[in-house]
This record gives sequence, structure tokens and C-alpha cells, in this order.
Amino acid sequence: MARATDKKYDHLFQLLLCGDSSVGKTCLISRFADNEFRHTHINTIGIDFKLKLFTIRDKKIRMQIWDTAGQERYETLTAQYYRKAQGIILVYDITREETFRNVTKWLRNIEDHGVKGVKIILIGNKVDLESERKISTRHGQKLANQHNIKFFETSAWKDINVTEAFTELAEQILAKVESGGGRDRGSSSIRESAIKLHEQQPTPATKSHGGCCSGGSSN
Amino acid sequence: MASKSKVASFKEVLSKEEIDIEELRRLCFYGCTDKEGIRATCWKILLGYLPVKRKYWEEELRRQRSSYHRLMNDVIINPYKEEDQTEAVDHPLNPNPDSQWHKYFEDNDILLQIDHDTRRLYPEISFFQLPTMYPRKAFNTGVVLGIEALKERVSHSSLPSQKVESSRYGVRKVKIKKNEEEPFSPLKEGEEGHWEVVERILFIYAKMNKGIGYVQGMNEIIGPIYYIFAQHPDSLWKEHAEADTFFCFSNLMVEIGDNFTKKLDRSRAGIGGSMNRLMTLLKDRDTEIHKNLIDKEIDPAFFGFRWITLLLSQEFLLPDVIRLWDSLFSDSERFDFLIYVCTAMIICIRTDILAADFSVTIKLLQNYPIDDMQRILQKAQDIKQFYSLSKR
Repeated sequence: MARATDKKYDHLFQLLLCGDSSVGKTCLISRFADNEFRHTHINTIGIDFKLKLFTIRDKKIRMQIWDTAGQERYETLTAQYYRKAQGIILVYDITREETFRNVTKWLRNIEDHGVKGVKIILIGNKVDLESERKISTRHGQKLANQHNIKFFETSAWKDINVTEAFTELAEQILAKVESGGGRDRGSSSIRESAIKLHEQQPTPATKSHGGCCSGGSSN
Repeated sequence: MASKSKVASFKEVLSKEEIDIEELRRLCFYGCTDKEGIRATCWKILLGYLPVKRKYWEEELRRQRSSYHRLMNDVIINPYKEEDQTEAVDHPLNPNPDSQWHKYFEDNDILLQIDHDTRRLYPEISFFQLPTMYPRKAFNTGVVLGIEALKERVSHSSLPSQKVESSRYGVRKVKIKKNEEEPFSPLKEGEEGHWEVVERILFIYAKMNKGIGYVQGMNEIIGPIYYIFAQHPDSLWKEHAEADTFFCFSNLMVEIGDNFTKKLDRSRAGIGGSMNRLMTLLKDRDTEIHKNLIDKEIDPAFFGFRWITLLLSQEFLLPDVIRLWDSLFSDSERFDFLIYVCTAMIICIRTDILAADFSVTIKLLQNYPIDDMQRILQKAQDIKQFYSLSKR
């Protein structure tokens, strides 16, 4: 196994995706982690896992991305993983109203089960289906503003804004970790301590991606 | 065993006036054959749908199949009609939970979920996208009876608030535009894909079993059963694959339904109990690998939850799943053998697991690397034998 190379990273971040079923959580992860999209994939039952090595501001980030089943039946199982996550991506489908209505419910779940100060971003997925849109960008942005979280509209299929959204979340976690405000999961619950490749060094404050959808078209 | 003699031994067991279920189980445990519809018959007996006395088969099948027809009628064609007289005052925005409209929308939510899931059933094979030879035209087009086809209900069910005021049936033609890369080739008018049959079975099941309803993953359980039944060489059995699948699936759910029930998650009967049994068994059979998983904080829910809930149907290719289920269904203490198989799967990749860190271990368990079903079954059998010997 590629054990030795596995450990060459600065930080280990744990991310979790939640949201109603069939909003495209698995597709977003596949797009981000493997740059692939399949129209037909099987349901996520329980909890699934993907890894992605990723660089922001010269920092090598190893991301453990947890994909959860959206259906209510699986909530008790998936909720226990909320507290492991430093970042949560909450997804709805812009063509299905009820998935947007449920965002509030998911936020409550995060509040109940997640760690305090967990970084959250909201994603309205499937912007490729513009003609079937039910939730306007303005609505999504407004809800995100209310909860003081960043908002993106994405298409996993057309690869719109996916990397930007994950990057934004990673940036937020990194900022928190570097300011000492968050524990680096690499050395806590999971037995994979990050080997520091770089000694603590002043990091250039360049932002790699602006990326946040500020209300305009996401294309 | 040569193929011919395998068929012969099955035929011998199945032709007896009263089938010796123990003998049948022993045979099936080592794998059925699809020749002459043998596997379909065996599964129907093992799942308690066909009685062991052959003379009752014909009557039983006739009775069950016609009762499924009635169910289809009650659940799909006629569910909202009984209080027709109230239709004058009932309306789509009626907040009363007893409102026929309310029920209609509630059903559509279930249907929408089932639709999403059955469309993506076994994407690696074409079977479920192909048309069935026995479409239920009345249920499919709905034109004759003035009802909507299930699939058309779903295609516009996400926009009821905008569109539905006009008429319940008037919005039938509103269709979601599909992506140009839509992977499923559209069926011709009046045709019905196998996945739509599965969708209908699941919808009826959910309506008839409201306590459990529809849970994602049920589609994976029903898939292989329907796949076997719908390819039966005998045209009568093939024609009734839908009804037969419904009852076999319902029987199976009586046994494994607890795994799909949230409130039983932590009980012995539920999925939590099954996962505990798996870990206990693993500890007993291979202490080192068990300790390794515990040390790495690998929660059995990361893999065991899906393995057990879906009877391993997502871990292997369909032909292997079918072979595996021959053994699972013939287990007289269902589903002990499933736990043995899961244990065997972990032990078969022990070297890889021992060398792997947390992430790689999870990847191994969630994307199981061995496709040699015989090897896994052999290992599981060794474990089974060990326990049956130690019981003596």
C-alpha cells in the first residue's frame, strides 16, 4: 500500500457532505476528488468515503471526505460522524423545492451533532438544469446570508464551481487551524498524524480562489 | 459437479410430491443453476412463497398473482376514489391530512424517491433499462382509465404548487426535459422498462407497509430477485415475475426489515446488533485483525452497515451476488451465513488491512478488492463448519 507517500501532507481535514437524497452529494465528491461524473451511480447507503490530496497556499492538505446517505432512515447513523467533521458541505438541488426547504433541518442537525464552530458552506447543485430551476440564486444566497455561511451554485455534471466550493471550505478550515482555533484532526481521533513537511512558516496571504457566488450567474 | 448432473439433481429434488426442504437447502447452498428456471423455483421455495407440497403450487400461484392484481388496482388506479363525493370541496392546497390531495402529494414524494433510485438500478448491466415483454399498459399509459402513469406523476410531482391547480390529470404532459447525455434510451410509447416494474413493486410495497415504507437500498434487494424471475424460460412464470417478486421481496423483508428500521438501529434485532455480531465473530476467528481495526478506530458502520443491510449486493457484480444469495437463502438460520461471509471477507484481505492506515483500510473495505466469490464462500464455509463442529 502507498503508506509512505500517504503521509506527506501538512494537514488532515475531515469534510462531510449532507443534504437530501439525490441532490448530487456523491457526484460532487466524484467530480472534486476524481474529476469524473457518472449519470448512473448507485445509492449511498450509510456512509462512504473518499480521499483527496489538495494544495492551498503551498500547504498540502489531505482531505477525508465523508459522503452520507440523504434519506431520513440513515440520519442516526450519519449524525454521529458530524462531530468528526471540521467542515460540512450542505447540498440542495436547485430544481427541487423540498430539498431547499430541508436545508434548515440539516442546519439544525449540524447544530445538534456537529462541533462548535464547524465550517459550513451551502451548495445549490444542478445549475446545468437551468430550465427546471425552482430556487433562485437570490433565495439561496439569502438563506446562506441568514446563517452567515458561504454559498455556491454548482454543477457536478458540467464541472461548475465545484473546486471553488471545496477550496473555500478548505481555506476556512486552514485559516482556523492556523490561527490555533481548531484542532488538527490528524493527531486527534484518527491515527494518522500529519508529518509536517514545512516547519511553521509565515504563509503568504494569497487567496487561490475567490470563488464565492455572490448572487450573479454562476457560469 | 458437471452441469448436467447438477440440473438432474435439482430436478430430482424439485419433482418430489413433497419437497425435502433440507435437501433443497443443501443443494442450493453450493449454487443453483438458471437452467430450466431452477434458480427461480428454488428461491421461491426458500423464501417461503411456494409451498413444499407441489400439488398446492398452481392454486397458490393463481391466488397470489390475482391478489397482486387487486393490490395494483387499489394502490395505483383507485386509491383516491373512495371519497369522490368530497372532491367538490377538496383542493390541492387543502391542509387537512385526510384530504385526498394531501395523500396524493405524499404518495408522489415516495414515488419520486423510488423513481430516482430505480432509474439507477444496476447501471453496469442493461437489463433494467430494457422493455419488459409484459407491460401493464393500463398502469403505464393510464389513458384508458383516466389515471396518470406512475412515471408521469413523478415527472411533474416536483412542481405541484405551480401546476396542479388546473386539474389533477391535466398536467400529465408536463415532462422534465432530460439532459442530452441522458444515458437511458427512451422506450417507445406503451413500452415499459424493467426498472419501471421494479418501481411499481416498491411503490406498492411502501403503500402496503407504511410502518417501514420505502427505504433506500430496498431497490438493491429487489433487483436480483426480479432479474432472476423475469428471465424465467417458462412464459407464464415470466409474465408473473412482477407479482412473484413482490411476494418474495415482502417475505424477505419480514426477515431483514429490522435492518431498514431506524428505531431498531441500536437493538439486537437491528443493524447495530448484526454489526456487533460481525465484530464478535471476527474477534473470535482472527484476533489480530480485529485488534488492528479497533486500534485504527475503524467503525464497523463504515462497511458493515452497507454489507449487512444490502446482503452484500453492492459489493460484488450481479452474477456473484446471485451466486452468493443461493447460499444466503439456503441458510436454515438466516442470516447467520451472511455474518460468516462478512467475516470471511475481512479475513481474506487481512494482509492488506494490516499494512494499511485508516484511510486505506476504509477504502479497502468500501471498495472490496476481491472478486473471487468462490474463495470468499470457501472461507465462510470453513467458519460455518468450525462453529457447527464446536456445537456438537
